[in-house]
Amino acid sequence: MQNIMEFDEKLLDMLKIITTEGFRNAADGFSGMVGRKIEVSNPTLELVPLLTIPKMVGGIEDDAVGVYLRFDGDIPGQIMMVIPYQKALELSDLLMGVPQGATQALGTLERSALGELGNLCGSFFLNSIAKTAGASFRPSPPAVMVDMVGAILDIVVATVGGVSEHVLLVHANFTEGKRFVETNFYVIPDMKALHTLVQKNHAHE
Amino acid sequence: MNNPIGLGLGEKSVSRDPQDVLVAYGLGSCLGICMIDPLTRVTGLLHAVLPEHLNGLELEDPAHCGKYVDQGIESLLAAMLKEGANRGRIIVRMAGGANMLISPALTSAFDIGTRNIEKAHIVFKRLNMKILAEEVGGHQGRTVRVYVADSRMTVKLVGATEHDL
Repeated sequence: MQNIMEFDEKLLDMLKIITTEGFRNAADGFSGMVGRKIEVSNPTLELVPLLTIPKMVGGIEDDAVGVYLRFDGDIPGQIMMVIPYQKALELSDLLMGVPQGATQALGTLERSALGELGNLCGSFFLNSIAKTAGASFRPSPPAVMVDMVGAILDIVVATVGGVSEHVLLVHANFTEGKRFVETNFYVIPDMKALHTLVQKNHAHE
Repeated sequence: MNNPIGLGLGEKSVSRDPQDVLVAYGLGSCLGICMIDPLTRVTGLLHAVLPEHLNGLELEDPAHCGKYVDQGIESLLAAMLKEGANRGRIIVRMAGGANMLISPALTSAFDIGTRNIEKAHIVFKRLNMKILAEEVGGHQGRTVRVYVADSRMTVKLVGATEHDL
């Protein structure tokens, strides 16, 4: 099995360009859904030790909303959107078209709306990658959870954990003007997908 | 009782300092496994992530030997004994192992939580150690705290208050 750490700089740079474009597309979808101009900030792409993932979003014990989807196809993987609870209430106001501060709790309807937001951002992201890389994807329906950040991110750790000690983490934040929407968007391709990518890349050279 | 020691994924900690509180924050499918010798107050907590080590994986960082339920339990027990705990007196409690994904399309394939719980039961049976109390499974994350001073273990769910286990 090819070592994941053998990723060369050129490939990483190329992936960075493709995924940044993907995030921009996801932000467009986000904007369309909430009716505000949402932009991407700090898109990153890096290999990280798996066990550090839950420490990446603020307090591990803080309440948050997670929207999770898996995608199969040429490059399988998973997408997780993590929104701090308070921000999720604000986003829910926008999504449901109610006055600011009206959403006090997340019921079935609000959760479903947030799930759709994650679904849409995920699809926009994947569509962009599909177009640039000529790959095809089949995303799963979104799963929504309201829980502690650590428990939400455990899902990513548990699914990757049996396979690798490192993950390629593609991450961005969404912002609205100067205000932070604080929505973390993670894309984690499966390790076997990375091997496909590395091979494809070598074939091109 | 005012010195919280947070355990990251795959970490374990053993203490006999009554000031210490061992904490595993936001356990989802992970398991918080606690061992206490009430007489010597030697207290340990493990934050286990996956049921077992699979062949062919990269070498583990020794700092994370608690990542797997099977190895983690054994290494926690060894650390407890090293600190002076008496094996026959050790009380075991555990919490976590939730199935966080509630989606018909995804759930069954990724239920690591249930596999973690099953593995822990097997290992404790093999070690001939009884689990005194457990709060496992379900669909919610948990924070586990172990108070060295009074050998108490608590569980906290999101939006709820801490309760004794």
